[in-house]
Order: sequence, then C-alpha cells, then structure tokens
Amino acid sequence: MASVSNLRKRKSSAPGQAPKDEQLLPVSALEMLSEDEHDEEPESDDGNYEEFPEIDAASDTEEEEDDDDDDDDDDDEGEEGEEEADYSSDASGSEKKLSIFPKAKVVISDITGEPKKVYPEIEPDYDSDSSTEDAPNRIGNIPMHWYDDMPHIGYDVDGKKLLRPAVGDELDKFLKTQEDPTTWMSVLDNNTQAEKQLSPEELDLIRRLYQNENPDAGYDPYEPMVEWFTGKGKEEIMPLSAAPEPKRRWIPSKWEKQKVMKIVRAIRQGRIVPSKPKTSSTEPRFYAVWSDPIPSLHPPPLPAPKPRPPTHAESYNPPEEYLPTEEERKEWEATDKEDRERDYLPQKHSALRLVPAYDQFIQQRFSRQLDLYLAPRIQRTRLRIDPNSLIPKLPSPSSLKPFPTYKSLDFSHGASRVCCISASPDGAWVLSASESGVISLWEAIIGREVKKWNASGKVGSISWCQNPESYYFIVGLEDRLEFFIPPNLPSSLHTFTKNLLAPATLPPQPATPSPLKWISSSDPEKPVLVVANLSGLTKQIAWHARGDYFATVSSDGGVWIHQVTKRHSQSPFKKIKGTVQIVLFHPKKPNFFVATQTYVRLYNLSEQKLIKTLMPGIKWISSMSVHPSGDHIIVGGYDRKLCWFDLELSNKPYKILRYHTRAIRSLHFHPTYPLFASSSDDGTIQIFHARIYHDLMTDPLIVPLKILRGHIVKDGLGVLQVEWISRQPWLLSAGADGKIDLWCS
Amino acid sequence: MAPPSKDDSSSTHPVVFTTKTTYLLPAQKFMIPTTWRRYQLSQLVNKALSLTTPVPFDFIVRGEILRGTLAEWCHEKGIGEEETLEVEYIESVMPPQKVSSIPQDDWISDISCALPGYFITASYGGYIRIFDYSQNTALTGSVHHAPVTSLSLDPTPISKDEGVMIATASHDLTGCLVRVSLDADTGNHTSSILASLHLHTSPLSSIAYSRSGKHLLTASWDTLIGLWESHIPEEDEVDVAEAQTDRRKRRKVDGRDRPKRKAPSSVLKSHTARVSKAVFSSTGKTAFSCGFDSTVRSWDVENSVCTGTITASEKPMLGMVVLPDDNSVASSSADRSVSVYDFRAASSALPSATLSFIHSSMPSSVALSPTSDSQIITGSYDGVVRLWDLRSTKSAVASFKVWNGEKKILAVDVASSSGSGIVGVGGEGGLEIWRMGKTATTTAA
Repeated sequence: MASVSNLRKRKSSAPGQAPKDEQLLPVSALEMLSEDEHDEEPESDDGNYEEFPEIDAASDTEEEEDDDDDDDDDDDEGEEGEEEADYSSDASGSEKKLSIFPKAKVVISDITGEPKKVYPEIEPDYDSDSSTEDAPNRIGNIPMHWYDDMPHIGYDVDGKKLLRPAVGDELDKFLKTQEDPTTWMSVLDNNTQAEKQLSPEELDLIRRLYQNENPDAGYDPYEPMVEWFTGKGKEEIMPLSAAPEPKRRWIPSKWEKQKVMKIVRAIRQGRIVPSKPKTSSTEPRFYAVWSDPIPSLHPPPLPAPKPRPPTHAESYNPPEEYLPTEEERKEWEATDKEDRERDYLPQKHSALRLVPAYDQFIQQRFSRQLDLYLAPRIQRTRLRIDPNSLIPKLPSPSSLKPFPTYKSLDFSHGASRVCCISASPDGAWVLSASESGVISLWEAIIGREVKKWNASGKVGSISWCQNPESYYFIVGLEDRLEFFIPPNLPSSLHTFTKNLLAPATLPPQPATPSPLKWISSSDPEKPVLVVANLSGLTKQIAWHARGDYFATVSSDGGVWIHQVTKRHSQSPFKKIKGTVQIVLFHPKKPNFFVATQTYVRLYNLSEQKLIKTLMPGIKWISSMSVHPSGDHIIVGGYDRKLCWFDLELSNKPYKILRYHTRAIRSLHFHPTYPLFASSSDDGTIQIFHARIYHDLMTDPLIVPLKILRGHIVKDGLGVLQVEWISRQPWLLSAGADGKIDLWCS
Repeated sequence: MAPPSKDDSSSTHPVVFTTKTTYLLPAQKFMIPTTWRRYQLSQLVNKALSLTTPVPFDFIVRGEILRGTLAEWCHEKGIGEEETLEVEYIESVMPPQKVSSIPQDDWISDISCALPGYFITASYGGYIRIFDYSQNTALTGSVHHAPVTSLSLDPTPISKDEGVMIATASHDLTGCLVRVSLDADTGNHTSSILASLHLHTSPLSSIAYSRSGKHLLTASWDTLIGLWESHIPEEDEVDVAEAQTDRRKRRKVDGRDRPKRKAPSSVLKSHTARVSKAVFSSTGKTAFSCGFDSTVRSWDVENSVCTGTITASEKPMLGMVVLPDDNSVASSSADRSVSVYDFRAASSALPSATLSFIHSSMPSSVALSPTSDSQIITGSYDGVVRLWDLRSTKSAVASFKVWNGEKKILAVDVASSSGSGIVGVGGEGGLEIWRMGKTATTTAA
C-alpha cells in the first residue's frame, strides 16, 4: 500500500519529466522515497476518506505491522534499486534484448498485403509454467516474519526444516557492495531468505515499473498516429465546449460524504444489516406455469363425445329418398325444438354455390354464448365417499342363526281378523282369537285345531298362565275375564289348576273388598272362573313372572292388578294421567311399567312410588316389550318409531329405529334367544338380533336379521301381533287377513 | 366287450361303470361320447348285458344324478376330458302315478300300509280307519277322545281269527292297544280296545312296535320314552284312582271288557325336550329316538340306557326312519332338511350328519323307499312327496304333489311287503295312494 502511494506521489511530483529520462529517475526516486514515507503518514491521516476504516481497530494494527515490514523490504529494495538503476543504465542500449516477452515479428500478410505482427509459438514444455518451478520452501505464501525467531525458515517437500541461510552483518554487506559490483543486482528472496541474483531482463522490468512505463519493452507509447477522424477529409464538425472544468470535478463531494456517513451511522446502529441473508433467493421467483400439467386428484374430465359423421341426409345435394315428404316436414315443424329427432331438414341444392348461408348461425352462436355465460366453468369436486364405508360394521345375519326365516304353516280364522294370540309357556300350544269371537286352541308345530270356543262377545285379549305349576288361560271378553282349562291335561295338573281357580274353600276376603266379582263354576263347558265388572274391554293381560299376579288394561285406560290365589283385584293407581296403553311387570324386580300415550313410567310396586319416567318421543305408543334381563325395554309407536331404552342410562332412548313404513303394532322379545320381532301395518315382520352384554361398558348389539313378508294388508291393518314360541326360535304372527303364521328357522 | 363305435365329430370321455344292482358290467373303461344322455347310457348297459327285457337305468356321477349330457355335466363341474369318471347306475324310478284319493273330513296324522291289502290311518278326530285297496272304508273305530298322533301295526304274522294288533298314541296322554279282526269274506270287521298305556304326562307323539311284536316304544312331549311289553295284562297295572273324571263314564259303558291299564316295563330318560319319534331297529335290541332338543339318541333296550347321542345344531327333529343298515337313521328336522346320522361314525367323533337333503318346506315324515334300500321318501308341509337317493343329495330322484300342493302332508308310508311300490300319503287333505317303483318296465329302456 505504501509503495503504491509512493508511486502515486512520484507521478504527481514529476509530471513534466520525460519518460525517456531513465538515468535521473532512480536516484531522485530513492531519495524521495524515505522522505515520502514520513510525510505521507500525517497526510493520509488527514485525508477525509480515512475515517471509515477505523471500525476495526485490530485488523488495522495488524495491517500496519505488515506495512512496516513491507516498508523495510521496500527500503532494501530501494537500496538495491540504486544499483539497479546503474545497471539498467548500462543495459539501456540493448533494450530489445532485455525484454522477457517473446518478440513479435512483423511480416507482410499474404492476404491483405499489410504488415502484421507474428508472435513465436509458445512451446508448452515443462518450464513454460511457473507453477512447476521447484520451490524448496513449501510453507506457502505466508508472512515470513513469522519465522523471524526460528532457526529455520520453513519446510521442504519432505517436511524437513529448511535452515536459515547465513546472513552477514552490515559490515559484510558493505564489503560485499564494495567488492562485488553485482551485489546491487541481487535481491532478498522472501521464500528462501537468501540473496538472489536478478537477471538483466528482470532489472529492466523493475526499472520500467519504477519509471511508470509500460513493463513491456517492446511497447512503443509514441507510435505514429493513425488518423481515424482527423486529417484531410476526416474532420468532424461538432461543437466542443470551451467552458472551464467545474470545481466539483476535482474536489470530493460533500453530499456524497454525508450520504455515505448516514449509511455508515445506520449500519453502526444496526438499522441496516449489511449482507442480509437472502431467503427468498433460494426458491425460484419465476417458473413455467404451463409446461407441466397441474397434478390433480381427480380423474380428467371426460372427453366430449365424438360427433357423428355426416350422412347423406346432411349433404347439400342428397338423394331423393332422403328428402322429407310434405307430412314429414309438417310434423318436423310441428314438434318442439327439443323433441325433434334431428335438428335439420334435408334440402336439395343443385350446386354447392347455391347453398345459402347457414341460417342458424347467429342463433347457434348466441345460444353457445349463453351456455358459456350461464354454465359455470368449474370442475366441481364431488365427494368421493364409498357408501359402504358409512354402513356400520355389523356381523352377518348368517352368523347369528337361528332366527325365523320361512313360513312353516299358517292357521286360518276365516275372513275375520285375528285380534290376539298367545303361545303356551311350553311352546306346544297356541291360542288365537278372532274378532268374530272364535277362540281356537291349536298345536303349534302341526297347525291342527284341537279345541274351539265360541265366545259370546268381543275378545280383547288372551293369555296363557305363566305359572308352570298350573295350566290355564285367560280370555279378556267384553267387561270380564274368563278362565279356561285346556283339555288333555294330566290329572294331577288338572286337579291342581281346578283347585286353584275354583277352590272348595274360598280364601278370606281382604279388608277392602275389590269391586270386581270372582265367580267360579264347575260346568266343564263354561269357564272355570269369571272376573266380572271390569270397566271396559280388556285390551291387554300382563303376567308377573311368578304367575300369581297379572295386570289388565281396559279399553278406557283402567289398570287392575289381580291375584289369582287370593281371588282379589285392585287398582294400583288412584288417578292416571293420560290413557294407559300397555302395562308390563319387570321380570325380576317388583317394578311395573306403565305406558301412556307418550310416556313410559316405571313404578316400584312394593314401595308404591315412581322410579323413572321414560320419554321416547313417540306421539302414540302402541307396544312395549321388556328384555328378559329387565334392564332394557323397547317401545314402539304408531308413528313408526321404535325406541330402545337402557334403564340404567338416561330416560331418553339409547337408540331410535325407524324402519317400518307403517305404524308398529307389536313388539316381542324372545324369552331365551337374543331376538326380538316387530310387526307393522305395512304387512311385514322384522326380526332383530339384540344381544346384551354383561359388561356394562359394551353397548347392546342390535342387528337387523330378516324381514318376513306374507301377511296381506287388509283395511290398512297388517300384522296385529307377534309372539315368540318359547324354547324355539319360532315366531307366531297374527294378521288382519285372518291368518296366523308360524315362522320357523 | 368292445367300446362303442366312436363318432368322429364328438369327443369322448373315459368312464368306469359301477353298480350295486344285480346288473353287473365288467370292470372296464369305456370311452363314452360326451353328447350322450341317460337314455344312451341306459341303452349301452342294456346292450352290454344283452338283457331280454329292457331295464331303464339312472346314472349317478359323483353324488349327482345325470340329468343332461355328459359334456354339460363336465363343463359345469370343470372336469377335464382326460379324467376318468366313475359312474354308478341304478335302476330308474318310473314317474309316480296317482292311484286314488280318499278325501277325509279330518286330518290324518299317521298312516300304515304294513297290513297287506289295507291302509290303516289314524286321524285327529280320535279314531282309526281302515281302508282296503278298493278304497272302501273297512272299519272306523273310535279309540281316543283326543287326536290320535301315531299308530303302529303288530308285524307278527296274523291268524285270521285273532285279527291284528294296532297300537295308537294320542294327545290324551295314553296309548292304546287295539285288536282289529278283519274278515274280508263277510266284510264284518270289528275292533276292540284291549289295553291303555299309562305313563306320560304330556301328549304322546309316536308309538312303535318292535319287529318281533313283543315290545312297544312310546315317545311323548314330556321328554320320556316308554318301553312296554306288548302282551295284554290280566289286571290293571296302574291305579284307577288316577283316572280322570271324564273317563269314568267310558269305563261304565265298557263294563267288564274295559281296557286294562298297562304300566311301562321301563322308562328311557335322556332327552331334554319333546321326543318326536322313537323306533326300534330291526334286531329289536336297540332303539333310536329323536326330539326337539336337536338330538338323535340310540338306546340299549334291555338295559334302558342311552348308548349314543348325536347333537345337531338347532335342528328340532320331527320324524325319523331307521335305514336298512340298522346303524344309521334319516331324520327330518324343522330347519327344512332331512339328515342321515350314522351312529358308527358318531362313536369315532366324526361329523355327525353325513348327508343332508334340503327341502323347500318343513319335512314332516320320512319313510323307506319301496324301490331301493338306499332311497327314502319324505313328505313335507308344501304337499310334495320326494324320493331321495342317498348317493345323490343335490336333488330328489322323483317327486309328486298331493292335493295340488296346498295342504300339509303329515304321514307317508310304503307298502313294503307287496313290492308294488304303493305309497300312502296322509295329511291335511285326507289320504292319497300313489304307485311308485320300477314295475312299469314295458317301455323302452
């Protein structure tokens, strides 16, 4: 850096010197050199520019040290340069020989006839490249003062230390300059720390550099001018300003400095982060939009259908048989545009030039535009959901066998509706009653009527006794209950039942006599026992599990609970809100379900209090059935809903099923198999698998199994009652068509 | 015997014929044109044996009766042309012919054709009726006041003066032993109740004589099977005091000749639900029973112990017949199938039901076929009587409809002794007599 500034100083100090004056220059330069060095330091500090680099103090000091070293070297060089100048003055005569560059020959070109320079060929041998020179010291280009305190100056190619060559003291140097005239031509080789003899070419190069000449000896700065734009006929006429140079051209700009300082201040305060990391540069700013098709999840839109190739009829000159007749033309014109089989009429023109312009052109173009305008050009993404995935995973019905699958036999009651059926507790017999008042007892698996009773009134309900020790059934006839004993009983059972219903000694009357009369008779043709004076037709008879109590519901909503052994009846409710539809006993606890039109209430009979009110959300409850476990009930309504209640959960249904298309008429849980059946006015019976787990965490599993069809809907009534045959997965169904079907597995 | 001349246009199939009939062919591989049907095959067998009177044959290929051509069968089963087929042939069953129909005012619950020349029927009205082959009612005897569910004929040869013994079972919890004397010359038939069987507390479902005629089996809904001696006791074996009140009247009427009250010699207890049928094997030493608990049981009669139980799953049994090999039974169940249970296989803990014949309706009754040992007849609730071959389970060999298929069949029986293939069908519509068998051999093979 210092040497450069030296050079600059020299240049400015001697502007008027002729470049050819080689002899003077080295001497004066030498003397100026040391002085300049001291002068320049304050001068450079004084310079306006130099404020900026003081940002990093550490690097500055190091650089200054470097500079000092260089200065020393320069000093040495300067001293040597003194002799060099002498030498060069010797060698100045043979300037051309000294050139290290290859000399160009001037030859006359064969083609143009003009002289041209031809350089000698460079031989690419081993020495032509300086990188192959054998440098003994292999420490690289590092500051050599690092090795100043070392006995060695570096390492050779084998890693051995290169010892510092012996250097004589100042006296030796002086003697050497006195004795050896070529001493000044040697220079300290930085790498080997040894004196190196410079060749005349190198000396000449140094001299030229000192004199600010072109280092190439062959370069002629005073070549004869080639007159491109001047001279005869080449004058250019242009206005040239004669105004003097403004001052701003040669003084540093104050505004520029202020602006720079502003930036410097901003950088120092951290407001501007120099060399900010470029984040956005990592991703390309531009990319080819159309080169790749946009990857899409959807299948490509269907290609438009191929238009049909034109036929003869579309020709401008169709054969005669393609032309429409008058009737066809009229018919075509009469039909609406949308209904036409084809949207043109074949026309015949004798020549193509006679074909008129297409008359539908405007119309078609307009409708096309209308289509484009009205039809949104959106590719709608359709929801691609596999409908099967929405269906809950249920076990297949075939794995849940047995359940009723086919109609085994039917039992006909003629044309009159079957209003009620009841299967005996052992599953062998079936009782059925028709609206015409005929009560039939028939064998379940054969379908053969064994006995028939002709009731003298309307039968509302019928039920077998659920007590296994006795064998009788109750018919709800008009406003009384009649008790019958079926035939063909073993004598012991017969006498037990007879003694139960018509005992020789009547049990003692309770304290509060019931309003109902219990009348026994011994006539075998008549009912064994009659309970009379009920308020209306008995709609339903519900048995307690033990078979001693049974509850009846009258058509006016009155509820009675009867005890057979005590021949006593009582009404459990003083006042009932709403009309009672069905009552049921809990199979295990002393609880009592009462279904009114919209609610199901659960009472505890022993404590005489309401436990729970279930709200099925059905407008009119038609049927109800309790699961044999007693923890679940199903409630069906005339509004087609079926509600499943888990009594341990809330008073809202666990599940609401709506699968019948008409009102649900009857529901029944199978006493032993995990099945329930529902019948409806749509004439179908649906069988469900209903498994209840003892694990309280597992929800009940309800699987639809089978739809049984076979009953005929008559007067809007379908299947009026379904009842399971105990011990077998067989179902009885009573239809409004007067038939009772037995469905077997 | 040279193979038949080949038709060049049609391919042939290697076939080996086997049979269990008396018409044996030499064990030899035949190259049969695949276009051949039953008719050509039957002709081949007839010609090969050079029978004087042509005998029609049916051909069973891998458990299925050949209905179409061989090529169709092979195509359906995907069997290559190189594979040798083993074809079993049986004598064809001619299409059944209706002989007569005797409508009845009451349902017939059981029918027996064991008495030559007569059909004995039990009806739900509580009486037994005997018809001769000319469809005349020979006898109507009122036995029970409740529906008779089953009857059985004493198979011992009869002497004319003694008549025959008929055992009946009824809903009134008793069985009856009835002596019927049939005098064909005078037409003077009489019946008298000799004894009543008192054990059961539920309606009886079946009664059966042993082959020797010395023992009886009754099956009832109360899960019990009663084993009875067939002789008529001198005195009542059961106390009268148990008798029902309404029976007192009848006893007064009967007077001195009132039936003796019989007690069982032993009771077979093992079933857990209603027993629907209990029958003896031909030796009389073992008995078989089936019931609504989906089991078939074999019994050692002398020791009254159950010796074998085969449990089917969810197949309440309705009817049963012992197959001629005396070790297997064919039993019809409410799941619309008739299955064959082999007790020899059951002892080795193999799958119980070896064969199963699927019906379209509930098969109520099973009987042995008149034509072959390996064929059975079933009557079902859809009014169709089907003839099955035990070697071909896929479809029935022959079938016919009674009462237009509208009424239930409750009983079928075959007049086995005559060999004429007379089948009596009883049920909701009364009685129908059909002829079935290989008698009509005059037509071409």
